[in-house]
Amino acid sequence: MVKQVLQIKDLSSGYGKVTVLRDINFQIVENEVVAVLGSNGAGKTTLLKTISKLISPFTGEIIFEGQNIASYPPYLVAQAGIAHVPEGGKLFVNMTVYENLLMGIYRNRKKVKEDILEEIYEIFPILRERKNQLARTLSGGEKQMLSIGRGLASQPKFIMLDEPSQGLAPKLVDEIYQKLSILKKRGITILLIEQNINYALQFAERGYVLENGRIVMEGESKELLNSEHIKKHYLGI
Amino acid sequence: MEQKKNNQVTKSLLWLLLLIIAVIIPWILGSNQYSVLLVTTVLLYGVMATLWNIIGGLAGQLDLGSFAYLGLGAFTSGTLLIRYNFTPWMGMILGGLVAAGFALLIGIPLFRFRIREVWYALTTCALVEILKVVFTMWEKVGGPVERYLPHYGSLYHMRFSSYIPYYYLMLGLLLIALGVNYRINKTRLGYYLKALGEDEIAAEVLGIDTRSCKLKALVCYSFLIGVTGGIYANMYGYIHPSFFDGQESIKVAILGIVGGRGITYGPLLAALLLVGIQEFLRASIGGDVSGLYLVIYSVILIVVVLFRPKGIATIFQDVYQRVFSRRGVEKKNVQ
Repeated sequence: MVKQVLQIKDLSSGYGKVTVLRDINFQIVENEVVAVLGSNGAGKTTLLKTISKLISPFTGEIIFEGQNIASYPPYLVAQAGIAHVPEGGKLFVNMTVYENLLMGIYRNRKKVKEDILEEIYEIFPILRERKNQLARTLSGGEKQMLSIGRGLASQPKFIMLDEPSQGLAPKLVDEIYQKLSILKKRGITILLIEQNINYALQFAERGYVLENGRIVMEGESKELLNSEHIKKHYLGI
Repeated sequence: MEQKKNNQVTKSLLWLLLLIIAVIIPWILGSNQYSVLLVTTVLLYGVMATLWNIIGGLAGQLDLGSFAYLGLGAFTSGTLLIRYNFTPWMGMILGGLVAAGFALLIGIPLFRFRIREVWYALTTCALVEILKVVFTMWEKVGGPVERYLPHYGSLYHMRFSSYIPYYYLMLGLLLIALGVNYRINKTRLGYYLKALGEDEIAAEVLGIDTRSCKLKALVCYSFLIGVTGGIYANMYGYIHPSFFDGQESIKVAILGIVGGRGITYGPLLAALLLVGIQEFLRASIGGDVSGLYLVIYSVILIVVVLFRPKGIATIFQDVYQRVFSRRGVEKKNVQ
């Protein structure tokens, strides 16, 4: 039997009095890569923020590995093993690359830091070269890699990526997705948010389509790519 | 490796030299009590700005309430002395505890409801003014009239007949403040504070308990400021609600920012330079052209902010790097 990593039941969430997400239900099993698709303002980022508890859900359950984390503060969610790579990276720009990675590792007291670092440097060799540079001096692609690397530093079981291709040149997007496929091979469960439907559905195994805060479609990536709705609304063919 | 060791030695020697100078200053000024009071005032601002660096520099919370905690410490220690003849040597510790307890009382809801940035600044700013009014109205402890501390000239009551002992007390506090800063900088908490100071959301999603980190920083800062308050009251020999001074609180924050946020010795440097110049100008030309010292002070402030927005301390860092690292800029390795 496949182990469920994350299960979301009847979730609704939003900011203040504005409801953004309504009746969201979905689940992710171990080693799965799932994409959440949708246009601007569909509620994709809100979904991730709700899972990592940066905003509190109005109703519903978020079950991560058997425990309901809907009432956890953000730091406990992270410590439970969920890594959130926020939109735009959110790096500590006045710290060096090394220090940025260290911030992700820090709470793994017993683990040997060097091993984890070595692992990250293996995936992103450029970070080793830039180790002592301030994060603000990195290029856009390097920043994104550092942001993902920092997410990995906590050795999460589950990583959520918020538009890793945002603002990058097509060539760099390819590179980022190459790196992500390394993570996929290593068996990390990934939840991916993406506007670039082609990339997302080629990379992910399953997908959910979010529109106006509701899940309107779900299915295997191939099914979604071939569906009339997606073709018409998102791919323009 | 060898060079690194040499650098360490030079650094320690430099600090030692500064310490020796600081120790002998009152001997030179000894005959002039007013000058000793001035240098003690400079040190006081050095202590406060250095402590402010914990919450304002490292944790990035623009705290404008330092004199609230100073006043609480002063009133606790002073009232205990006046009413119960309680020695300020213990009173100042209790003052620190009261200040820290009050900070907790304020800090828990503030951080719970995620009040930060300008709103945090405004809240702390209001805190000073509120306390000032409260203590003016609260006749049993404060009231509009100064309450003088008794036992002038008694060691047990920390009421010295000269300013020199206060100078050394302040110097001791300064060393403690610097030490605490240095220690926090090196620990996990220091890194957490720096991280959340830069981007609180990023720090939260990395699993950092930002609320408790900020509280720890706030308690640390307010406790030591409270202790300083005990000495402050004894030095001036009275307690009065005007100790809750909003303008001076802002000045402490300015010193912290101008000196270099997050740099251990930055705020001290700014205090030595700016408060030093200010007090010197006030003493030397204040009588002839009243207000001119403020103009000069402001011009210096503007120049610093224009050319060294990261703080005066960066000048020294640049010079230090140019002198000591042979091949370009060697970034320090963390750990």
